[in-house]
Amino acid sequence: MMYQWHYIFFTPFIAIILTILGGGIIFYILGFNPIEALKFYFITPISNLYGLSELLLKATPLCLIAIGLSFCFKSNNWNIGAEGQLTFGAIVGGGVALLFYNQEGFYILPLVILAGAIGGMIFALIPATLKTYFNTNEILVSLMLVYVSKLLLDYLVVGPWSNPEGFNFPETRQFSDSSRMPLLFEGLRIHAGIFLALAAVMLSWFILYKTYLGFQIKVSGLSLKTAKYAGFKGKTMILVVFMISGACAGLAGVGEITGPIGQLHRMISPDYGFTAIIVAFLGRLNPFGIIFASLVVALTYLGAETAQIFLQIPKYTGQVFQGMILFFLLASDYLLFFKVKILNLKKNELRH
Amino acid sequence: MATDLRISNISKIYPGCIANDNVTLQFKSGKIYALLGENGAGKSTLVKILSGVISPDNGEVFLNEKNLKLSSPLDAKKNKIGMVFQHFNLFETLSVFENLSIDATEDNKSLRVRINEIFKKYNFSIDLDVPVLNLSAGQKQKVEIIRCLLRSPKVLIMDEPTSVLTEQETEELFISLKKFCDEGILIIYITHKLKEVLSLCDEVAVMRKGKVVSVSQTQNEKVETLANKMVGQKLAKIKKKINISKNKDEIFKVKHLNFYSDDPFETNLVNLNFSVKKGECLGIAGISGNGQNELFQILSGEIITPDTSIIFRNKEIAKLNPKQRREYLMAFSPEDRISQAAVPELKIYENVALNNFKSSNFFEKGLVNERKIKEHSKKILSDFSVNTDNVELKSQFLSGGNLQKLILGRELITAPELLICYNPTWGLDVGAINYIHETLIKINDQEKSTILISTDTEELLKLSDRIAVIYKGKLSKIMPSEEVTPEKLGVLMGGGSID
Repeated sequence: MMYQWHYIFFTPFIAIILTILGGGIIFYILGFNPIEALKFYFITPISNLYGLSELLLKATPLCLIAIGLSFCFKSNNWNIGAEGQLTFGAIVGGGVALLFYNQEGFYILPLVILAGAIGGMIFALIPATLKTYFNTNEILVSLMLVYVSKLLLDYLVVGPWSNPEGFNFPETRQFSDSSRMPLLFEGLRIHAGIFLALAAVMLSWFILYKTYLGFQIKVSGLSLKTAKYAGFKGKTMILVVFMISGACAGLAGVGEITGPIGQLHRMISPDYGFTAIIVAFLGRLNPFGIIFASLVVALTYLGAETAQIFLQIPKYTGQVFQGMILFFLLASDYLLFFKVKILNLKKNELRH
Repeated sequence: MATDLRISNISKIYPGCIANDNVTLQFKSGKIYALLGENGAGKSTLVKILSGVISPDNGEVFLNEKNLKLSSPLDAKKNKIGMVFQHFNLFETLSVFENLSIDATEDNKSLRVRINEIFKKYNFSIDLDVPVLNLSAGQKQKVEIIRCLLRSPKVLIMDEPTSVLTEQETEELFISLKKFCDEGILIIYITHKLKEVLSLCDEVAVMRKGKVVSVSQTQNEKVETLANKMVGQKLAKIKKKINISKNKDEIFKVKHLNFYSDDPFETNLVNLNFSVKKGECLGIAGISGNGQNELFQILSGEIITPDTSIIFRNKEIAKLNPKQRREYLMAFSPEDRISQAAVPELKIYENVALNNFKSSNFFEKGLVNERKIKEHSKKILSDFSVNTDNVELKSQFLSGGNLQKLILGRELITAPELLICYNPTWGLDVGAINYIHETLIKINDQEKSTILISTDTEELLKLSDRIAVIYKGKLSKIMPSEEVTPEKLGVLMGGGSID
């Protein structure tokens, strides 16, 4: 048991291999040539420059959110509502961008980004505060708040914020160019948001491994009893990790609307906030592991789109793959530490 | 029919340790056998092999010359080997009857009849319909024993059965065990308490470092001879000289300590008042589960209770958290080494950093000062003779004794004025216990104070200057330890009163 902890860095790879095999089987059952289909899924999407740019574009929000979530998960706080924090961050950031829809200025984008981060942070503070002062369960509260923020966004884009010249489409005006993330290459959608994600990775590594806050997070995650005994301020820490997590999700949201989207509408995120939970665990809650995991999971999004085009299967197969990754990850983590034994029980012995 | 249990050449090897080394023993019904040994001597491994929890690498077990294949606890049950573990396996919120019926194969009505027969036969009386959590430790143990008896066992193995019992409950247990023995049940009694071996058992096997070092008739043995066999060397006797501290200042004073909890697993504390003088050791005795946990957490600041006054070195500290209390030079050593005092997954130096106080400079401006923590940790490892000098080692690789030395070292290296410890030698072997007792005595010699909450009466009598007993959340009057005898403590711990 003692030396098996090294394995936890291998299980993500085992999970990925099993997912690919599982995907092959599913394609076979659907009547496709599995090798061919998997090629469409995992190779074709990234075989050109545009594809690579799309991969990074999708990996950026996943990475940002997962980095934030790692602070929560490492300290035993189960923030499941990153999708809601992303949406609320996008609403607040988007609101600021709409204020400046007809203005130019270098200061606008930083303001929009800041507003997005603060929005996410405030929205994450709701479950955190309720947890610290009223002992509510953060899983339920943060999850339910996702729907609150999504419905709020819905209301805003059809109601008060809808584009006056938009023929009643449920969307806002286009943001002005000063509210848009600078593109990195002409003709590709990859934008400066990726630097925010990389900065978050560096910063989180520093905080988690080199600061007193990181030490407290680590101890609290391993043993809450010890954290209490050491006299860590438990309530403050819950608030802080939720704020970090919410800010990251908010940044991801604002990165989407100021990056590829350029306005607010109903579908600003294909559930990045939920998928990032898988990314966080696949990356073993380690900042650099999360980079790797966000690329892998982003590929399942792209693959699903290619598969839809070339194989005429719904793009929701992406979620099937994401589900399989999590399933195989949990299974291989679990099975590495246990031995499966088939017992031969007689009927009345089952009661023992 | 007579029962004959034979263990033949059993070996079990764990990475880095031989738990059982070619153990061969023979037991016959009609006698009570003792299996004696220190922690880590291999008793528990052997018992787990007999009860099918683990399988040996080598060797066989024969019951009446039939080779038993014990690959699961079910096999042990089938072969009529019954076990009563040190920690009870009962559902606390279910009633006694429900607990017993989980295991039964017959219907409830006939089960009740059978249980009542057992009650009559052995003079037990327990209300079958109360939840188990309302029972005393002794009664819970009886429920466990009844569970074994319902399966008419041939062999009954008792693992350290008296560690949670009062003296009176222990006597009752011994009477029952002797009855079982007369009825032909083979009894194997596992313990490290020497006196029990002599008063209860007929034959004793001593284990040391995985090997059986002696098998003998108890009538030929004395406490000293058994102790030497068990430890393998002569132990220096330590005895504390009592501090005559009548005129010394009170350094720590607790008033109106009350604690109320809705949780049925916690004990309420009722109006505790006590004080500790400079250089004194105040012992708090009691059977576990009488409020010691709650008391420790309130004294350390993990639980803050309203309206309590705690004065330490002339300052009111009742509202401070553990970290703030450490700044005033208090130190704490909780009972639970593995999940409270230290985290096994953390490296040694990280565990040292848990006792973080202002002057330590472990964390400067919110950053980790790794060099400082490691230097400090090295000093602890050498000053408190922990058997490693590698501060990067994960704490889970330390033995219980070494981990406790590390924890005590971490708490003591700040030269605290008051150390509060709870069962500091729980589960340790004699050598480590001796070291820790010496350390605790040294603290008092340096005019520092200690509060020792312990369930081990021998330890309390050896180390304390004054002793009080906690029973159901209430504290008895505090007595000078020279007036206290084990019998007196036993009565108070069981809820009786003395004049």
